[in-house]
Amino acid sequence: MKIEHFLEKNEVREITIFNQLVLNGGTLSYGKMLNHLGVSKASLENDLSSIAVRIEGFDQKVQLQYDGQTIGLSMSDDLSLQQIYRLYLDQSIKLQIITFLFKHQEFSITQLTQKLAISESSLFRKIKELNSHLKEFGIKIRNGQMQGEELQIRYFYFQFYCYIENKVTFLAEHPNDRLTQMIDAMEKFLNVTITPENRERLTIWLIISNARVSIIDKQAKRLRTQMKAYRKDPFFHKIQVFVLRYFSRYSIEVDEVESMIHFAFLLAFPVLTEPDFHEYRLLRDRHAPIASMDTLIAETIINHFKYRRLPYMLERDMSYHLTHIHTRLYFFQGDIEIYEYEGIIAKEKQIVGTNVVSFARTLLKTSTKTLADKTGENNSLLKMELLKYISLLVLITFKMASVIQVGIDLKMDGLYKETLGELLILKLKPIKGVRVEHYDPTKIYDLVLTNEEPKDQANYDDARIYILSEILSSFDMVNIQRIIQELNK
Amino acid sequence: MRVVIIGASFAGVAAAFEVRHIHPDAEILLLEKQDTLGYIPSGLHLYWDKKISDLDEARFVTEGQLDKHGIVYHLNATVQKVNTTQKIITYDQHDLSDQLSYDKLIIAAGSRQLSEKITGSAQESVLKYKRYDEAQAALIKVEESEHITIIGGGQVGVEAADLLTTMEKQVTLVESMDYVLFKYLDEDMIKPIEKNMTEKGVDLRMRQTVSSVEMESDQKVTVCLGEGSVTSDAVIMGVNVRPHLPFLDETIKQHTDQTIAVDRYLRTSVEDVFAVGDCIQLSGPGEDRVYVPLINNAVRTGIVAAANLIEPSRTFKGSLRTIGTRVFGKYIASTGMTEAESLFTDRTVESHRQEVRLTSLADSDTVTLKYVYDAKTHELLGAQMISDANILEKINVLALAIQSKQTLEDLQQTDYFFNPAYSQMTATTNLIAWMDERADEDEN
Ligand SMILES: Cc1cc2nc3c(=O)[nH]c(=O)nc-3n(C[C@H](O)[C@H](O)[C@H](O)COP(=O)(O)OP(=O)(O)OC[C@H]3O[C@@H](n4cnc5c(N)ncnc54)[C@H](O)[C@@H]3O)c2cc1C
Repeated sequence: MKIEHFLEKNEVREITIFNQLVLNGGTLSYGKMLNHLGVSKASLENDLSSIAVRIEGFDQKVQLQYDGQTIGLSMSDDLSLQQIYRLYLDQSIKLQIITFLFKHQEFSITQLTQKLAISESSLFRKIKELNSHLKEFGIKIRNGQMQGEELQIRYFYFQFYCYIENKVTFLAEHPNDRLTQMIDAMEKFLNVTITPENRERLTIWLIISNARVSIIDKQAKRLRTQMKAYRKDPFFHKIQVFVLRYFSRYSIEVDEVESMIHFAFLLAFPVLTEPDFHEYRLLRDRHAPIASMDTLIAETIINHFKYRRLPYMLERDMSYHLTHIHTRLYFFQGDIEIYEYEGIIAKEKQIVGTNVVSFARTLLKTSTKTLADKTGENNSLLKMELLKYISLLVLITFKMASVIQVGIDLKMDGLYKETLGELLILKLKPIKGVRVEHYDPTKIYDLVLTNEEPKDQANYDDARIYILSEILSSFDMVNIQRIIQELNK
Repeated sequence: MRVVIIGASFAGVAAAFEVRHIHPDAEILLLEKQDTLGYIPSGLHLYWDKKISDLDEARFVTEGQLDKHGIVYHLNATVQKVNTTQKIITYDQHDLSDQLSYDKLIIAAGSRQLSEKITGSAQESVLKYKRYDEAQAALIKVEESEHITIIGGGQVGVEAADLLTTMEKQVTLVESMDYVLFKYLDEDMIKPIEKNMTEKGVDLRMRQTVSSVEMESDQKVTVCLGEGSVTSDAVIMGVNVRPHLPFLDETIKQHTDQTIAVDRYLRTSVEDVFAVGDCIQLSGPGEDRVYVPLINNAVRTGIVAAANLIEPSRTFKGSLRTIGTRVFGKYIASTGMTEAESLFTDRTVESHRQEVRLTSLADSDTVTLKYVYDAKTHELLGAQMISDANILEKINVLALAIQSKQTLEDLQQTDYFFNPAYSQMTATTNLIAWMDERADEDEN
């Protein structure tokens, strides 16, 4: 599911216009814009005037100029594309349908048509469209209700309130005292630290959960099956005790499913910090599906890069992220694509190379085969988890890349020495995995570049020495690159 | 002034008496769904315990007492709708619908023992016995049964388990928490009870949640748990009670847990409408609002609401959730905050457990006491007791101490009598370090 699925076709086009303008430095010719949108000039003109009306509310902070030749966008510094998105989303009928459904849990067609001031047929059409996107979450709007597995419903609302609806308003609308108390108590009881950022995430989740806790006849068949492997899990047990104690203070009946839902959430999303998660990792059953997948994937990564092993903290960090990925794949279905997937993949390929991307795909194939029966490139969850694998791989390669220390020790007059040295540094900097600086006798280097044969080898310790033939020549550059490659092995 | 009260149980009746006391001229009308008056919800336990020989003896109020005070009551009258704009109540009585106007309305419709999450728990074979007719049915069913499964290890469940094992029934008790009576006692206090339970043959199923109850063809009932199931002759619902208020109109605000929102004067969001007893939340031991369905709260809130009918004059002081009972050979009592529940307070809380002798005589019984107090100020916040001897009254002393915000040091100075046959050197309810009998010794 994508953010644009909450918008109408013309609205998506309008957003695209903004997007294109931002990507192209604020101005674009009609021709290029038409090409990109694949529409007629008349319809572009239409879109532009519609935008002009919409942005009136911004009070000159956003301005759009168009004259039939070029389109120009200017925005004041305190505004971003995010707020433009917000403007469109706030008017979205589909978004209002979901918020209404969340607030009231049930609706009648007349109630909604009146509230949204739309016809019955267009309400049905919107619900149908929404349902086609909710499908990947395994849920649907039917008979005025959100139907499907309870975990999935809450997960969808969670993504919705984090990324689609205005998070700030949502949080402000829900009085916080009880939630703060609940989270404080949770922190104490689970003996964990919940950082402010994670606290916000958890707050949204708890608002959603508490609003749905009393619903009767929740579906949880799938979750119950998935939880079979976790009945004895120590963290699940703690959550269970906490949930029971918390709700025993109110006239609210909770079943086992409530704790199961929280268990899945707390492990799939960053709520615990790495050190707190690590404590759990030491206790959890290594043979349970998520843990054993963590191990398998971690080993595959280490083997792939031919590392003997990772530094202790990096290994822990990797495991932390892998558990999030695998818990999501194991328990959840669907996702909201908050990043432009194709765009990012393309960019990632440029930066990190095709190899990393295709290796990440292999990892995803391995994990989904065991953890989830979801296939197909179009499943947003798989796309988002692929991005996470890629990020993790990049993180590891960055951290593991041994940086080659290069010292430049030119033997010449002060001024030349300075300038030529600087120029050399500038030239060498873009090479991956090197740090270049003026030679400092107190430091240790892997490679020293100089222009004279050193009088005393011992001066440079064990560093390799390369004597420049002609400073800044391409001949030297090729040689230096070769040496760096050799050192990198 | 016409005061209409919905529900003629503890809260409703207490309110009626208090209204009469304050307003001799008021017209007071009680509407009650049941066809009998004043049944005590634990009547069946009294019967099984042979404290009464007929369920009918379990009454806390008689029709004569109401008559004497000029309180009018309609039995068999079920309120269907409350219209707070027009101040009109619609109710059914003997299949006829009737209406009634009010000047002041007190909602005392209480709670029922019902689970919405356990499928099949509404069927008759799953016994509940808060009401008189339910208790009658349960009495017969239990007599016919050999093996009984109790869902829920709260006060009702554990008392029932005790009485039924004494009656030589085979008992299975299912509790989702790690230990029974978890709302009132900390885990370290409960061990002697659980030990006695197992010794008396109770099949304890802790950390198990019932998901459904199914009737078998041979009149037996199967209770399905997270893992496995139990089949027995009868099932008793010992789960929490909950309000059931389908007759409210939208103007009366409710909390998410379905209780009616009230202020400290027990006024609802609508003028001239009050709510009391099991249908509201109270300020609890940690001073935040919680649900504490107990008779003492029902009675006290009834009285406070009555005092505020014309003008807000008395605030409700809140509840310490004080309880006392005897189960499996032990007297247990609790008031205020438990250590486990101190999770929900901002205070830093400490606790101390000690065993003390009750008299100065050689054969004196002992009591294990646990104090929960503010680590900084030493203000007493909660207390728990367990003993072979009847120490129940002592919990009220501690409840009063908590209510009047006494510190441990204040408690040491309370002026109690000394008589070697009935007391010892220091009062039982003083936390004095050197009186410890080392409670830890008999832990195993
Ligand atoms: C088995 C059992 C044993 C218990 N034992 C104890 C104990 O030992 N000590 C203790 O402190 N607490 C005990 N409790 C809790 C206690 O029952 C409640 O706290 C207490 O009954 C609350 O009183 P109340 O007047 O608020 O409500 P209730 O006693 O629930 O009374 C509400 C009344 O309102 C009537 N009513 C409801 N709806 C309508 C309507 N629409 N129209 C007309 N009338 C209506 C009901 O019929 C009922 O009579 C026990 C509970 C159970 C289930």
